[in-house]
Amino acid sequence: MTAIDFESELRRAGALASGRWGKLAYLARRHLLGAIGLVIMMLFVLTAIFANLIGRYDPLTVDAVHALARPSWQHWMGTDSFGRDVWSRIIHGARISLAVGIGSTTLGATFGVIIGLTSGYLSGWVDLVFQRVTDILQALPLLVLALVMTAALGPSLPNVILAIAIPLVPVVARVIRANTLALRELPFVEAAKSIGMSEMRIALRHVLPNTLAPLIVLATAQLGSTILTEASLSFLGLGIPEPYPSWGRMLSESAAEYVRTAPWLVIFPGIAISLAVFGTNLFGDALRDILDPRQRG
Amino acid sequence: MFAYIVRRLALMLLTLFGISIVIFFLLRIVPGNIVDILFAAAGYVDPADKANLERQLGVDQPLVVQYLHWIGGLLHGDLGYSYVSEKPALDEILPRIPITARLAGLALLFSASVGIPLGVLSAVKQGSRLDYALRVVSLSGLSLPSFWLGLLILTASVAMFGEIPIFNPDPKTWGELFATYCIPAMAVGFRSSALTMRITRSSMLEVLRQDYIRTARAKGASDASVNFHHALKNAILPVITVVGIEAAFLIGGLIVTETVFNIPGVARFLVEAIRWRDYPIVQNLVMLIAVVVVLANFTVDMLYAVFDPRIRYSD
Amino acid sequence: MRSVGALAIVMALSMLATGGIALAGEPKQGGILRIYHRDSPGSASIHEGATYSVNVPFMPVFNNLVIYKQDVAQNSMDSIVPDLAESWAWSADKKTLTFKLRQGVKWHDGKPFTSADVKCTFDMLMGKSPQKFRQNPRKAWYEQVNDVTTNGDFEVAFNLKRPQPSLLALLASGYTPVYPCHVSPAEMRTHPIGTGPFKFVEFKANESIKLTRNPDYFKKGLPHLDGIEFTIIPNRSTAILAFVAGKFDMTFPTEVSIPLLKDVKSQAPNAICEVEPNNVSTNIIVNSSNPPFDNLDIRRALALALDRKAFIQILFEGQGDIGGSMLPAPAGLWSMPKEMMEQIPGYGPDINANREEAKKLMQKAGYGPDKHLSVKVSTRNIPVYRDPAVILIDQLKSIYIDAELDVVETANWFPKVARKDYALGLNLTGNAVDDPDQSFYENYSCGSERNYTNYCNKDIEKLFDEQSVETDMTKRKKLVWEIDKKLQEDVARPIIFYARTGTCWQPYVKGITVMVNSSYNGYRYEDVWLDK
Repeated sequence: MTAIDFESELRRAGALASGRWGKLAYLARRHLLGAIGLVIMMLFVLTAIFANLIGRYDPLTVDAVHALARPSWQHWMGTDSFGRDVWSRIIHGARISLAVGIGSTTLGATFGVIIGLTSGYLSGWVDLVFQRVTDILQALPLLVLALVMTAALGPSLPNVILAIAIPLVPVVARVIRANTLALRELPFVEAAKSIGMSEMRIALRHVLPNTLAPLIVLATAQLGSTILTEASLSFLGLGIPEPYPSWGRMLSESAAEYVRTAPWLVIFPGIAISLAVFGTNLFGDALRDILDPRQRG
Repeated sequence: MFAYIVRRLALMLLTLFGISIVIFFLLRIVPGNIVDILFAAAGYVDPADKANLERQLGVDQPLVVQYLHWIGGLLHGDLGYSYVSEKPALDEILPRIPITARLAGLALLFSASVGIPLGVLSAVKQGSRLDYALRVVSLSGLSLPSFWLGLLILTASVAMFGEIPIFNPDPKTWGELFATYCIPAMAVGFRSSALTMRITRSSMLEVLRQDYIRTARAKGASDASVNFHHALKNAILPVITVVGIEAAFLIGGLIVTETVFNIPGVARFLVEAIRWRDYPIVQNLVMLIAVVVVLANFTVDMLYAVFDPRIRYSD
Repeated sequence: MRSVGALAIVMALSMLATGGIALAGEPKQGGILRIYHRDSPGSASIHEGATYSVNVPFMPVFNNLVIYKQDVAQNSMDSIVPDLAESWAWSADKKTLTFKLRQGVKWHDGKPFTSADVKCTFDMLMGKSPQKFRQNPRKAWYEQVNDVTTNGDFEVAFNLKRPQPSLLALLASGYTPVYPCHVSPAEMRTHPIGTGPFKFVEFKANESIKLTRNPDYFKKGLPHLDGIEFTIIPNRSTAILAFVAGKFDMTFPTEVSIPLLKDVKSQAPNAICEVEPNNVSTNIIVNSSNPPFDNLDIRRALALALDRKAFIQILFEGQGDIGGSMLPAPAGLWSMPKEMMEQIPGYGPDINANREEAKKLMQKAGYGPDKHLSVKVSTRNIPVYRDPAVILIDQLKSIYIDAELDVVETANWFPKVARKDYALGLNLTGNAVDDPDQSFYENYSCGSERNYTNYCNKDIEKLFDEQSVETDMTKRKKLVWEIDKKLQEDVARPIIFYARTGTCWQPYVKGITVMVNSSYNGYRYEDVWLDK
């Protein structure tokens, strides 16, 4: 399905570009916003990977003498009340945000796929049970569920990831199940059955790959919201604890004390969060246009 | 149709029952309860006092007994007592509901009255600069942390007007009423209006591609007539769905906004109750939220069934 | 006009407990004092609380037997004045403290106040009455009291096991109101009844607390205010913005941090702000029953590694104090002289020399540049706890200790400490009364519930009693200094610093006194008035 959509996309626009790069360049031009989003996302990922090289100071080292320094050549984004370099903390914070974003999205998507696929493919009572479980999870707003879960489990990086991942499960499961149901009726699955392939194999070899496109679209769309949820949890005092430089906590805690006396402490983490989320949203939108034209937005 | 409604209602009850189990046991899987919190606040631990208090509050009983006690009471309209204030949970929750309901209603109104027209505009002018600009604005709306937005509004209004729009329990002037409800409602509604706009746009686009629209155009109907008379009417259904989805989305926004603007509504109360591990309050509030969300979804489905004859009621 | 003014002055002076205000001009009657509250207190019962989140809004509802004079900033024996008691006297053997009570005082519900109420209150605090508090955090204060006896309706006596001059100081604290006998502890948690200048109106959790003027208050002409309204705003930035915008007449006492203070001053230049010590120490609880800190060398190295000035510089921009277990001078009455303090390991001015010594001790214990010691620093998930822990971890790096922060939820903190499931813990200790008895017995005495580290030293225990019975202040001070020094040398519970915090109010609010050596005792608000 994926390939077909690419082709039709190109054909519809009458593109005559040749070769892989040509097509990419064409797509970038046609989905300019998406390309910008991709660039932002790449920057974000590269920052996280090379944080040690880009960060100029250790993000955890306390420096009493240079506390609350304004942005300058020594400290591009100033220092916080502990004298820690804000630029380095934001750079390292990208790792945390990426860990939360990718970690919880992957975890949520994996369980969502497992539930959606078995539910849609096996139907019967398994489907019924899984359906009810997703009903339950979906009746609670993401932040409420995450709030109760972090409160119950205690604030730590793995717990926050888990707390944000679980509300994602039903969202993914729903979509995968619907797709699986539709695919099950398609001729190639029938054909596979008639030549005696096992159900498991059909599910994994034929059905799963064909649900990838909507999955990718969905996961990208959720990436941004996971980062925002972590920030909200931090604001409510239940996010990732010190010493991890989480953007959400940097923003929410300095917002409480330094909105006007040291605005750089509030502005830069705010920009980091908004930019990262904005990038993934832009990219997610374009991805949906390309991979899933039925839901074009 | 009737069988469909009954079936949906039954499923709804089943879901709520499931939620009650999940929330009840989730709150209790980890060590640490209200008694620990109370003693932490008092800065000492006395095993005898502690056991006494646990017995008094009933947290020493087996979980299943506690659960049945709660559900049994719930069915009779008895929500139990708050551990912290020792008042009936119902008396604590009830007066806070209108505050949050008013806020949520205004936020929805704001989000619909801004989001739908802009969504239509963006779809009709698809590919234009206006469309791009609106899409970028709506996406940035979805990218800002909402507490950040609320705090900016507070800071700005103090800096510019020397006034602060935090909650006022009995507003005397229209200005105070506006500050108490409308400004926080806009802060929440801003994000949902971005969501509404995006969904309106995409469903409009889908409708605009349909054959009957092309036919209408071919027959010489004016652009305005096609856009608003034919297209919007059909595109409105998915928008109704959005309102359902937003019920859940809004509650998330309300939690943060009520905290920033210091509004004593249900959502902030939930956060405070979680902090105190005031289980009777937390579990009842979560149930309340679940009922609202489930009912909103149910209503949306019913509206769908009424408005869209293409829906079959088998599933 | 003049005669009215003169009359008011005469009246004000005649009220022993509330003088002083006349100098600021003639107090005006009326008005509601609006204060924001930092959090929603768990209950309205002062005796069951252990935070001044309860004292601030509910102290105006009550009276004590005796009270620290509300317009004297430094609490001391000399600033204790009668309240419900008209006078007090010690017996010759110093083992009986007798109070003559004021007559004609009525509870807010109209019932008369008698000596039975006093006896009820203290019997309940000592756990001797059938009615029990849900929690009784200050039971230990009355360890030396045998019983409380009444002699008629207007005389009570506290009979002690041994002389304890400090008992009077404990009775003068905002933590020690007299409760009515006829109201159950449960009712006192939700609807407190007192004899004080303000009557309780309502307490909406997480929303507001309202008090109204008690027209039948026994101190004639008081209070000046018609009422007090507390609006609960847990979010600090929202609260300060609201104060700056004029929504409140006063901030929550001691709740304005140094960075926020700057903000208030720039936004509301007319606001009056005072920065004072709040007698809350930030300290380290050390688990000396398990490795590695069972080793005295490592404990000493820990004490030597601390750069207390850096803590104060970072957290309070220099506005904090260094001391031992007693609040430092000049605000504190009992702190040891500077020269004496600087002899204690880790208190000397040369940080580098201290750390060199610490490194040697670490090497002696088997650690060094190639072999770091890994420990966890546990603390609660609240910024005032967490922020100093971050600095502590950074400072420990200098002596081969790699520490990791372990953030514990409030619900799990005390159970964890009680289980000894920690190596180092960062802790805050608030002292309600600037008095050695309160501090020593509560935090360092064998078997005390608040002695989190279970530090127990029989020799020092004897010294505790010795200073407690001592009636000669000069001798007692010397003893206290000696004890304090020993406690620090033993690294029982290293004190890092004492914070100073700000309280701000609008210029038209008169008669506020911020106490400098306690943040629990100064909230009666009967002589506060609004110059509007």
